[in-house]
Amino acid sequence: MRTTSVDLHTLTGAYAVNALSDTERTAFETHLARCESCATEVAELAATATRLGAAVDFPPPPHLRARVLAAAAETRQLSPHTPRLPRTRGWGRAGGLLAAACLVAVAFVAVQGTQSDRDQLAQLSSQYSRFSDLLSTPDARLVSASGPNGSTATAVVSVSRNELLFVSKDMPAPPADHVYQLWLIDADGPHSAGLLAPPSAPLVATGLSNARKVAITVEPQGGSQVPTGDALMEIALA
Amino acid sequence: MPNRERSLSSADVGHPAGPTADDLLPLVARGDEHAFERLYDVVSGSVFGLIRRVLRDQAQSEEVFQEVMLEVWRTATRFDPGRGSANTWIMTLTHRRAVDRVRSAQAASHREEHAARLDPARPFDEVSEQVSGRFEQRQVRRCLSFLTDLQRESVLLAYYQGYSYPEVASLLGLPLGTVKTRMRDGLIRLRDCMGVTG
Ligand SMILES: [Zn+2]
Repeated sequence: MRTTSVDLHTLTGAYAVNALSDTERTAFETHLARCESCATEVAELAATATRLGAAVDFPPPPHLRARVLAAAAETRQLSPHTPRLPRTRGWGRAGGLLAAACLVAVAFVAVQGTQSDRDQLAQLSSQYSRFSDLLSTPDARLVSASGPNGSTATAVVSVSRNELLFVSKDMPAPPADHVYQLWLIDADGPHSAGLLAPPSAPLVATGLSNARKVAITVEPQGGSQVPTGDALMEIALA
Repeated sequence: MPNRERSLSSADVGHPAGPTADDLLPLVARGDEHAFERLYDVVSGSVFGLIRRVLRDQAQSEEVFQEVMLEVWRTATRFDPGRGSANTWIMTLTHRRAVDRVRSAQAASHREEHAARLDPARPFDEVSEQVSGRFEQRQVRRCLSFLTDLQRESVLLAYYQGYSYPEVASLLGLPLGTVKTRMRDGLIRLRDCMGVTG
């Protein structure tokens, strides 16, 4: 298990050279959409990286030219982006951000596939704006870890808001009649932060107080008061 | 640059005064196949060179190159000149696709071996070797020499080898946080040296 903790604003360089993992990249892109200074810096650093690319130019084999041009002639181009009318979809403003390949939105899609209840959708939608607000707070930090079977987890932590957003990716399904539970662990021990049902559902935990880490355990359906299983994944918050 | 002369009209004589990627991409976005042909001639060397640099393998490079060029055609409608140059847009897409390929499952089996063989100094040496006297290459080389070793290695291992920052950290034996700051500091130093404005 490997945990990384970084200040979102310093990820511009790693982002510009594509050195972030998928989950970090999507979280950072959500941050970028809200952070003017990062967006400017990324544009400059991407232009800088482009010079590195141009410095190693090398002609492609000549026969590829006709092939590419012929393929283009048979390929329909994407329609341009047009301003999206609000509330044309169930997702409201979340719909527009989906296009930005936002990590949280991706998680929402997973949730949407399993829940049809309108109230739940509305609740998720309001949670969604909390996520994007959280991602854009100045002290937001991104913490990620890898877990079993190639799964990854990312938490966005804001001390000023006393909130944490947790999203996991590629978590295997829990055993039958069991559920993943997220715990905030401070000096007094673990406190439940909620259930990950389904496993890819994003979760906002409030009342961070002095939590030093978050952990996931497998618990019987409905969750437990105190963790009964071993931690599958732990993320240090400090 | 291959075949450049094939699509040059009299207006293009005297490159670099000929049409640039910035001139051509908006035309491509309107479905202009002739503009795409000219864009191909302007950018294909940079696109293929970068892919080849990252992937090494000729067959895979040709495959990804064709995918990238077709994606440029297909998604030109989404290019927003307000957010950067056409060149940067195309090369960012190119690098992303090359790195995607590196990280895909097919490539996974070769990675350990590749990482073990890797000499971190090599990317810079290869850039140096390939400098053929063109102004931009000389400038890149000169500006790279102003970076600290760790900044240069962090940037080049990520950009030319397609390594993630945890991979760069393990190759260089550095903490993760250090690598991510070196990448940013190194690129900022390059930006300032090259006078890039974004
Ligand atoms: Zn920022």
